[in-house]
Amino acid sequence: MKKIYALEERCLGCRLCEVYCKTAHSKSKNIIKAHKEEDIESAIFIEEIISEKQISYFALQCRHCADPQCVKACISGAMYKDDDGIVKNDKKKCVSCLSCILVCPFGAIKLGKDGKTVSKCDLCVDYGKSLCVEKCPNNAIELLEEHYKKEI
Amino acid sequence: MRYLIVGNSAAGINAASEIRTKDSVSSITMISKDTFNTYGRPLISYYLNNKIKPEDIYYHNKDFYIKHDIKVLLNSEVKEIDIKRKKILFCTKTKHNNDILVYDKLLIAIGSNPILPSIAGLDYNYTNVFTFLSYEDSIKLKSSITRTSKVVILGAGLIGLKVAEGLAEQVKNVTVIDLSDRIMSSNLDQASANIIQKHMENHNIKFQLKSSITNVNNTHNLVTEVILSTGDIIACDILIIAIGVLPNLNLAYKAGLKVNKGIIVNEYLQTSNEDIYAAGDCVESVDLLSNKKSVFALWTSAANQGKIAGENMSQGNHSKFLSEFAMNAISFFGMHILSAGVVNTNLQNIQSVTMKCQSNQLCRLNILNNNLVGFIMINENKRAGIYTALIRNKTQLSSLAYDITNHQNSNVGFNVYSTTERKRLLDLANIKI
Repeated sequence: MKKIYALEERCLGCRLCEVYCKTAHSKSKNIIKAHKEEDIESAIFIEEIISEKQISYFALQCRHCADPQCVKACISGAMYKDDDGIVKNDKKKCVSCLSCILVCPFGAIKLGKDGKTVSKCDLCVDYGKSLCVEKCPNNAIELLEEHYKKEI
Repeated sequence: MRYLIVGNSAAGINAASEIRTKDSVSSITMISKDTFNTYGRPLISYYLNNKIKPEDIYYHNKDFYIKHDIKVLLNSEVKEIDIKRKKILFCTKTKHNNDILVYDKLLIAIGSNPILPSIAGLDYNYTNVFTFLSYEDSIKLKSSITRTSKVVILGAGLIGLKVAEGLAEQVKNVTVIDLSDRIMSSNLDQASANIIQKHMENHNIKFQLKSSITNVNNTHNLVTEVILSTGDIIACDILIIAIGVLPNLNLAYKAGLKVNKGIIVNEYLQTSNEDIYAAGDCVESVDLLSNKKSVFALWTSAANQGKIAGENMSQGNHSKFLSEFAMNAISFFGMHILSAGVVNTNLQNIQSVTMKCQSNQLCRLNILNNNLVGFIMINENKRAGIYTALIRNKTQLSSLAYDITNHQNSNVGFNVYSTTERKRLLDLANIKI
């Protein structure tokens, strides 16, 4: 399956991916409305790495694990791996118990701003394309086949 | 191949799914005394206070069983396993005769039963005495309460407190009684228990700690009052017993399988009979932190074991179940609690670091010899999953790029790991363990 890969050496830390993630997951799909009117948690987030010489960044999002702990921890059956291998959260079934957050080893799941469901990367399948990948100004986020990633 | 799964909760359903992904042709039958298809057991309290609709309690929709060709026999209690002839004897609620099913591989995933202490004057057949472990229990309880109900709950553990939360806004009063000096004594330390207790008291729940019920008064086969060890008398028209659970071992024991605290299994979750596996709350596992044999009544653990047992039943033994440790995510009236591992800070040599402590928020890490061994978080979840992984992997804290006990680093997430370690962990995500 294709997954989103963040290339640390290219990331500028501009956080545009977060902006577009929110847009893609908004009701309006409009960048201004998504930020001004809808309160959405981004499913991709920039993490800072501070060393003595420099600050660098990388973008983190759900890894759609082969053996996802969040799916097994989910008490309601809301978290599932679909036939394409994408780990998804059914917001209608989610009771926001945070069991998934307790076990995700990457910290890639966040409690939604409304507190009612959790938010995580779904590769934007409903939107049609992964907007964070498309909008990254430095091509630091790529949608790649798993085996291809290993070669780079 | 005929796969038979006894029990239809977290372990059973995950085993069935896993078997089907590995074997598309063989027959898979789940048999359970439950009336309902697999449901999210922890959701029964959400049903109690109408936070979910009845149709949303189910773990999978009905199409799942058709799509994966999994046969389910409900209302059917397995009475006996004949390990020599590889068949089971079961009895359905509507029939009086026993029926027989044969198997090639069997999974026992029948969970646990509530502990029912003997209390003077109390008969568990009284219609106002309840336990709270199944959807049926929750339905029965919900239909029995009224606005004027005076509810007494024995046990301030996860189950007791979830019932208390579920009932608080629907009845006149709720009193929770526990022998311990704090609520959720196996999941929380004193400071965190105090925060949660206060929060629950603000929602009309009363607590009587360091107390037990010595006897109950009854009239016309109904409990009317409970008498506490402190001498207090509490009026009661609904009594709920929630002091804990014990693994359901009868079936395994009668079949001659080895049992101890739970059913004894090897690392592949195979019992002392090679064609019978066991998973979930009825199984004895090893506690990663204490190295002691222990029974975990945890949804995550049961789901995980079910999946591994299913894989081994269909593929031969190659997937190992590693040791487990206690962890819980639970919330009361909007207050979220995440805890894992060692929570008792009084243990020798444990260094307890409090990152945050306010009236409604807490983050406490328990460290032993350069390893994180436990944590408690209230209304805070940043890094929770990373902490859990640090415990599971016994990661040396000194190998991390950041000091997790330093407040200044509290915004650091997955980058607590060094660059090389981060890359290694990210690659691991693609590999099926």
